[in-house]
Formats: sequence, C-alpha cells, structure tokens
Amino acid sequence: MKPENRILAVLSLLVGLLFLSPVLYSIWMSFQTADAFYAGEVAFTLDNYGRAIGQFNFARYLANSLIVSGLVTVLGITLATLAAFAFARFRFPASDLLFGATVATLMIPSHISLIPNYLTLAKAGLLDTYAGLILPAISNGFAAFFLRQYIRGIPKALDEAAYMDGATPLQVLWRIIVPLSRPAISSMALYIFITEWNNYIWPLVAVGRQDLYTLQIGLARLYRVNPGEGLIDWPLVMAASTITILPVLIGFLLVERHLVRGITMGAIK
Amino acid sequence: MFPAGANSAMLRKLTPYLFVAPLMIFIAVFTYIPILTSLNLSVREWNFLSSNMPFVGLRNYEQLLLSRDFWNSLRVTTLFAVFSVPLRLGAALVIANYLVRETLSSRLLRGALFLPSVTSTVSIAVVFSWVFSTDYGMMNALLEPFGLGRPQWLQDPHLALWVLIFVNTWKQIGYDIVIYIAGLQAIPRELYDAASVDGGRRWHVFRRVTLPLVMPTTYFLLIISVIEAFQVFTIVNVMTHGGPAGATDMLVNLLYEIGFVLFDIGRGSALAVILFVLLVALAIVKSRIIGSKVHYEA
Repeated sequence: MKPENRILAVLSLLVGLLFLSPVLYSIWMSFQTADAFYAGEVAFTLDNYGRAIGQFNFARYLANSLIVSGLVTVLGITLATLAAFAFARFRFPASDLLFGATVATLMIPSHISLIPNYLTLAKAGLLDTYAGLILPAISNGFAAFFLRQYIRGIPKALDEAAYMDGATPLQVLWRIIVPLSRPAISSMALYIFITEWNNYIWPLVAVGRQDLYTLQIGLARLYRVNPGEGLIDWPLVMAASTITILPVLIGFLLVERHLVRGITMGAIK
Repeated sequence: MFPAGANSAMLRKLTPYLFVAPLMIFIAVFTYIPILTSLNLSVREWNFLSSNMPFVGLRNYEQLLLSRDFWNSLRVTTLFAVFSVPLRLGAALVIANYLVRETLSSRLLRGALFLPSVTSTVSIAVVFSWVFSTDYGMMNALLEPFGLGRPQWLQDPHLALWVLIFVNTWKQIGYDIVIYIAGLQAIPRELYDAASVDGGRRWHVFRRVTLPLVMPTTYFLLIISVIEAFQVFTIVNVMTHGGPAGATDMLVNLLYEIGFVLFDIGRGSALAVILFVLLVALAIVKSRIIGSKVHYEA
C-alpha cells in the first residue's frame, strides 16, 4: 500500500469512529459504575451487565428476541421461497394477479394493519404469545419478489433435466433452485432477521406480559420507567442497550459486504 | 415428470397454487383484509370493550379534521420531512461522491456510516437521549466550554423536533450513501473523462455530469425518505412521547396514542386511512419514477 493511502485509511477510520462516537461511548459507559459516571471518574465494572441480565430480565428478553426473529426469518424465507419458485417457473391462471398482489404489499404502509391485526390476534386468543409476535411478520412480499427475480436467472434447462429424471417440483426446488439461490436467500434472511430484530411498534402493542418482551421493548421500558429515582442510571441503561445492539453488530462485522450488496439490490424495490 | 392419469393432471394444475398459497393466505389475513377492516372501523364508534359498534358515518373523520391534534401532527410531520429529507440527501450525495472509489479507506468509512442504519432504533434513541440530556449529556459537555449554555434539548419545544431530525439523519444517512454510491458507479467513466478533457473543474464536473446523471437515484431516495418521514414512530415514542407540548407529535405517534392509549378505535382507524391514502399516493409516484429510471438508463 502506498503511504498516502495508508494515511487516508487511518484518517477515514478516525472520521468513522468520530461518527460512531455516541454509540462507542455508550458501550464504554456500560462498563463504568454509576457513581464514577456521575462524578466524571473512571471505575471499571461488569455489574451493570449483571444487573441488566439478572435483576432486569434482559437474558429473557434476549432469548425472546432470538426466538421471535429466528422463527420469523425461517418461516418468512420458507413462504417467500415457495411462492418465488412458483412465480418464476409456472404460468397459471391468476399468476399475474397474485404476483401483482405480492409486489403491491411493498407500497402498503404497515400502520394501516396495526389496529386490525391487534383485533385479529385478540379474537384468536394470540395476544401475549410468541405466535402473536411472529405470525403478522412472516409474509414478506419484498423477499418473494426479490427471490423470484433471482430464480428467473437460473437456467430452466436444469429444472427440465431433473423433471426428466422423475423429480417432483418440490424436489427441483430443494435440490436445484435452493442451492443455486443461496446468496439471494441469505441476503434476504439477513434482511428479514434485522428488520424483525429491530421491530418495535408491533411488539409494543401485541405484548403486555413482561416475560414476553423483546429486547427493544425491554430497553425502552428500562429507560422510560427508570429504576433510579431522580437520576437516570445511565450506565445500567447503556449495558442494556449494548446487549440490544450487539448481536446485529457482530453479524454486521461478519457479513458487511454481503449485507450492503443485498441492500443495494433492495433499492430497486 | 408426473405419473400419467387424471389425478396427476389435476395435481399438476394445482401445484403452483400449493406453492403460493401459504404466502397468499398470510398476505390476505395480515395485509389486505386489514385495509378493509380499517375502512369499516373508521365509520364506527368503538372502544375495544363495548359489545356493539354503531355506524357513525364520517363523524370520526370530521372530528379528526376539526381537532388541533391532527393539524399539529400533520404540521410537525411535514416540518420533519421538509428539513430532514434535503439534509439527508444533500449530505449523502456529497459524501458518496468522496467515497465512490473502491479503496480501503472509502470502504472503512462506508462501513462506519452504514452501521447505524441496521442498528436497533430503540438503542439509538436511548443513546441519543443521553447525548442530548441536559446535565450529563455529551452534547452539552461539548458545547459548554464554548459558552453556548446548556440547552434542555428534549424538554424545549423549539429544539426537540430538531434533535429528532438530527438523530434520524444520523441513523439513515449511511443507507442513502450506499444507494448514491451504487448510482454514481453506474455512470460511465468516459463521461467524466470527456468532461475533464474539456478542462472542467471539480465543481463543474459535479454539476454538469454527476448531478443530472444521479437524478433518478435522487428521486428514488427523495420519495422513500418522505414516505419514511411520515412513518417515524420509534424515536418519538422513546425520546419524547410526542412532547413537549405536542412539538414532536408525529402522525404515527398520534395514531398510536388515539388507538392504543385512548382506545378510540374509530378515530384511530380514520387517521390510519388518511395516512394510508397519503402514503400509497407517494408510493405510486415512486413506482412511476422507477419506471422512468429504467428508461433513463437505456
């Protein structure tokens, strides 16, 4: 690397760190005692994490977020892939209409279904359950659209050869289309997981029981209904916030390029 | 491919429907039927508890349009959009122009700028609640040495909305930059070379080549960020609850308050329908523009 490039890289890193400084500082703060923070001193501790996880139930919220986001991702990808395969490979009466209805969901703002979905789930007795958190989130029109475009790029001759050998459509999907669509499927899985992980308004209305809170709800409550009287216990809140950010942050660092590519492609939506 | 016979012919016709059915059922139940439900509820009076929901015609719409809360929310949301969108796009284009080359330094910086857009909005709202808190916040710690006082950012009706605009911009700008970079990289290099040969200076090249050629990207980002601005909820709910004195009471926050705090389902649904019409109109404009973008690149 040329020396001026190295300088530029260091400079960029500094600008990036400056931009992220509020979050980076919040992580630093989460390892400080509250007394030290308010006195403007430095005193290292893990106690905030201990209290967030134990006393304030964040281990449970973390588990809930993983369960909900995980299931939404698996079910969402399954539904989207099945439909995308049919839309890409079969012509059938109403296929244009149904595909149009799928794509049109991208234009429909989610708030219109907030009250009706609440009522639907109340009627089904599913408020305050995992199912109530998961079911409204698993139909993803964008993922179906995106995967359909991708599958259309896979040569149809591969399908036909498999059909000649006596494969069923489900086998063609599973043995040929899915393996060849892996990059698109993993981009979409990531996109669904992150969206669901960060979902706030739906869990806010669908869940009242504390043991079903996701991290987002738990964190908002911890900050809003602050345990410390008068002064907010910022280091404790920041420990909870760090727990909330961390899984996506780690995932991001692992697959950043992949994700950026997925999102850039997503811009055509 | 399929065993012969009448049954299998039937099955073959049915196959694609079986593949699309699960998705279609969920889309119908949780996306399309709710639109009709909202329309129906918007002409009724109901509070979740009472056993009957009498038809009241357009009274909910009338009440809404005569209320100060609605016009306040519309004004606040419009202000938010009018100031946050140009800020986001302007800054994003300038930054993207610097980061367009595939070097290590530009990739590092892109990564850092992009990170907030995939980070939990609640976490960001909590972190910035601290940044802008009056007594122990980062912002006042930075400003005070310069004699700029200690503004009560989130308690001052003149400042709170600006804080939310700032936080939203900070969170979303990385996405805008990534999209702009994709748009910039699609511009043929020869155009830049030609402009440089003509003796064009940096600003000249930017204005004559870059700006017109990223116009489709700009339109795209413009519409989606306006749509987004009209759906902002999380940062409001966490940072201000719509206050102080309604200064940050954006439309979806008002919808949440009417529907899930006051339990006025009729009026909440009427607001949902109005917002829906507004956003679908914007989305249709967007899809037209994407159509023209394809044409533009051809």
